[in-house]
Amino acid sequence: MNPYILSVLLMGLGLGTTVTFASSHWLLAWMGLEMNTLAILPLMAQHHHPRAVEAATKYFLIQSAAAATILFAGVTNAWLSGQWEIQQISHPIPTTLMIIALFLKIGLTPLHAWLPEVIQGLDLTTGLILSTWQKLAPFALLVQVLPDMPTLLVGLGSLSVAIGGWGGLNQTQLRKVLAYSSIAHLGWMVIVLQYSTLLTVLALTMYITMTTSVFLIFKLLKSTNMNTLASSWSKAPVLTAFTPLILLSLGGLPPLSGFMPKWLIIQELTKQELGLVATLTALMALLSLFFYLRICYSLSLTSSPNNLLGLLPWRMNTKQVTLLMTTSMSLSMLLLPVSPAIFSLVSAL
Amino acid sequence: MVFLAYLLLIGLVLGLAAVASNPSPYYAALGLVVVAGMGCGVLVGHGGTFLSLILFLIYLGGMLVVFAYSAALASEPYPESWGSWPVLLLMAGYSSLVGFFSTFVSDGWFEGSWIVVDEFSELTLFRGDVGGVALMYSLGGGILILGGWVLLLTLFVVLELTRGLSRGTLRVV
Repeated sequence: MNPYILSVLLMGLGLGTTVTFASSHWLLAWMGLEMNTLAILPLMAQHHHPRAVEAATKYFLIQSAAAATILFAGVTNAWLSGQWEIQQISHPIPTTLMIIALFLKIGLTPLHAWLPEVIQGLDLTTGLILSTWQKLAPFALLVQVLPDMPTLLVGLGSLSVAIGGWGGLNQTQLRKVLAYSSIAHLGWMVIVLQYSTLLTVLALTMYITMTTSVFLIFKLLKSTNMNTLASSWSKAPVLTAFTPLILLSLGGLPPLSGFMPKWLIIQELTKQELGLVATLTALMALLSLFFYLRICYSLSLTSSPNNLLGLLPWRMNTKQVTLLMTTSMSLSMLLLPVSPAIFSLVSAL
Repeated sequence: MVFLAYLLLIGLVLGLAAVASNPSPYYAALGLVVVAGMGCGVLVGHGGTFLSLILFLIYLGGMLVVFAYSAALASEPYPESWGSWPVLLLMAGYSSLVGFFSTFVSDGWFEGSWIVVDEFSELTLFRGDVGGVALMYSLGGGILILGGWVLLLTLFVVLELTRGLSRGTLRVV
């Protein structure tokens, strides 16, 4: 893509999220969200094949509907309460409408059906931007809305973990697997939204770190389905050794850092007398763990049939800049012992 | 006066149902014209004559005309509209849906609130819509600049998506 237009679009993406973060007025927040939607469309359709265009079209329609609903909820709140403050949305009708519209924006159950198909149609870099950067602005709004409906949030959150787990079980395409893992992690983030927005932001931060590393690993290995993954061990044997740890961190196993948000969320739910919910959600997370394990199995724990030339790719250097990948990999594996530091870092936000 | 506003609003909602139920872009755009016209009438009823004029000129006279020409370029020879049963059923369905939900929120005619948004005292007059324009340029200057930037970004996005004429992403097939 033309580098000028690429930089304009990326700066538009940055500006959109910044505007939503900095806003205290619903109109300005909506403008930031629309800017994000607009700026990512050419990035999605840059490889001009029909699958990418289909993904861009679906994304545009879904996000426009969600943004229109957000605007409607903001205007309804302005009508009912006379002011446009983001943190002062108090009437239950616009609050519920706003929360559901934000769920459509991020791809949470029951409004998740677009996410696997859209991510499947994109290349791994754009899928990474979609899974990480585009979640920041809606979550900035979600943690400010201060909802008063624990039933809705906990119910949809645990349902999301379940759907993310079950949906990903039958997938061989890695981008769809990552989409369902996104749905499940968003479910974890939303479960504690009512009780501790700090834990929501912590779960979001950890999810962004882990999924960045996974997307970039798959990009380096140039594999988008499990078959390709099975014969990509020789491209970077070190990655073959570490990727299972990253995937198990996504699955939430101690002693890796992915355990931290799940542990703290389960603790918070238990403190709120929701032990059964915590147990059920943790059991549903086992489903996600299964398909992460299947990816590990296919990549590292099994050597698939291949010819002799499959041994050679390690001799060739990769052109990809690996700084972000390696940094996020280290963070995804090693942050559990410094949990108090991460907690205090996130609480400063 | 209240009756006129009532008529305009009913026309607006029916026009929206027409937009949603028509598969052909011609008739959907016609529905949009009706919606915008009715909306302009409602605005005039509230005292926003300037805003209504601007809406007519820019929205209908500018954007809708451009959309109509673009739709004419990618046209179908036999457009389907209310003459065919499925479209008519869809229109009736949407109208009845609106009617059903309106029974929950309808509450009377609210004649007392159909007033203009102007404010006046002894020697001052504040026209609602023109005062809003003044505010948009003064206190709302930052949002105006942001809005202008978003429009420029939209231009870049559209140009990038349609780059390549017949070799590009979105093209006539």
